Amino acid sequence: MIGRQLRAALAIYHRDLQIFLSYRTLAFSTAFSAVFSIALFYYVSQLLSVRSFGSPDDYFAFVVVGLVILAVLQSTLVLSATVRAELVAGTFERVLLSPFGGVRGALSMMIFPIVQAIVLGIWTLALAAVLFHLSLHWATVPLALPVAILAALSFSAIALLVTAVMIVFKQAPGIGVLIAGITLVSGFYFPTELLPSWIAWIAQVQPFTPAVELLRHLLAGLPMAEPAWVYLLKLGGFLVVLMPLGAWALARGIDISQRRGTIIEY
Amino acid sequence: MLTAAGLRKSWGSRTVLDGLDLVVGPGTLVGVHGANGIGKTTLLRICAGLIYADGGVVELGRLDPRRDRAAYQSRVGFLAAGDRGLYARLTVIQHLELWGRVSLLGGERFEVAIGRMIERLALDELVGQRMDRLSMGQRQRVRLAMAFLHEPDLVLLDEPLNSLDERAAALMLACVAELTGRGGVAIWCSPTLADEAPFDRRLELDGGRLYGPAPAIEAVPAA
Repeated sequence: MIGRQLRAALAIYHRDLQIFLSYRTLAFSTAFSAVFSIALFYYVSQLLSVRSFGSPDDYFAFVVVGLVILAVLQSTLVLSATVRAELVAGTFERVLLSPFGGVRGALSMMIFPIVQAIVLGIWTLALAAVLFHLSLHWATVPLALPVAILAALSFSAIALLVTAVMIVFKQAPGIGVLIAGITLVSGFYFPTELLPSWIAWIAQVQPFTPAVELLRHLLAGLPMAEPAWVYLLKLGGFLVVLMPLGAWALARGIDISQRRGTIIEY
Repeated sequence: MLTAAGLRKSWGSRTVLDGLDLVVGPGTLVGVHGANGIGKTTLLRICAGLIYADGGVVELGRLDPRRDRAAYQSRVGFLAAGDRGLYARLTVIQHLELWGRVSLLGGERFEVAIGRMIERLALDELVGQRMDRLSMGQRQRVRLAMAFLHEPDLVLLDEPLNSLDERAAALMLACVAELTGRGGVAIWCSPTLADEAPFDRRLELDGGRLYGPAPAIEAVPAA
């Protein structure tokens, strides 16, 4: 039975891949847009000479990894928009009316965006290395993949909570504000030490900061404020606590909508 | 056997199902007709387990759509009205494979089920075509194939003849005949019921209840 569930999840991944590939220029334009992002930040980094970074190249390495993790974060938070589109198309009710079910279906809908973000991340790092001489820390680069997957799963739990809200209220207000807020306090573009003390504590109570810190170390060899195991423990802790909570919230949101009869509305 | 007892459902202050009872024995095709907005689709959605009634119970055999969700859904097929529930950029075969997997069909049953529906609904010439390039009637045939794909015991059909030509309607009726022939149940809702469909019972939904020549609750046929 577990094999059939996995095949169902892979079928949803395959569906999303087929739809993505059916738009012939989408893969090309997605890959090409990465060039502009890293070029922009490369030239911005060349203007910098600040205490927090030893050289402009250090800031470039810092921000490129931040961009990669931001893409992973966005790939998970897109779930609420995906489910909303499926509600409008009437395809989510088909998933709901299957033995696979709405919660597993929604979880499966995150696989393709996460894989896409990780592939795009590898592409971005490769471009940064080739075009702008980003110095990768090759000894620990392979470890970045499992850490990125762990980070994506931790982020996914938050996406499930947001999706539960969307299913009940037919909108997920503030998703843009949420991403902007996370970007601000998680050290994607600048070190969290620069934040004023009254807000800096937020950097420690979400999974994004440990993910970017650890990945920066693994990919670019940048120093960490804490040992690696502390970051892993934090990410694992967020995953263990938030994932069941997210899945429960989504199941509850679907149940409420079915009871009210609003699951058919959009 | 499908049992619905005392079903109640209101949309705001408007009550659409008001203590509705329906018992359908094995091998039965039930036609339900009634005016637009009278509650036919609501009844089907509740029987499908898509939405829950405010009161009353629905059971397929002894399965409850909420308590036994996965087992219930593996035995129910639902054709919603309209032409929704399809992915414009996917082909016919990609749809059948996707819903075969999501229906948790495994091994040989998966391949057999897809081959059977391609044959029964004459989809062989369409399998490689994308949904946004099909006519409305062709899409309806794909939607019917998805509803019957996993060999459900109960199939709920909301205006199934929508956009179908005579040949496709005959194919659809053959699917229904195969279902009832193996002891399954079909409920077919439409504002008016087609004369050519071999309904075992024709019921009218009005005032939140079902009316027809047969009593709304009938004796359970012997197994």
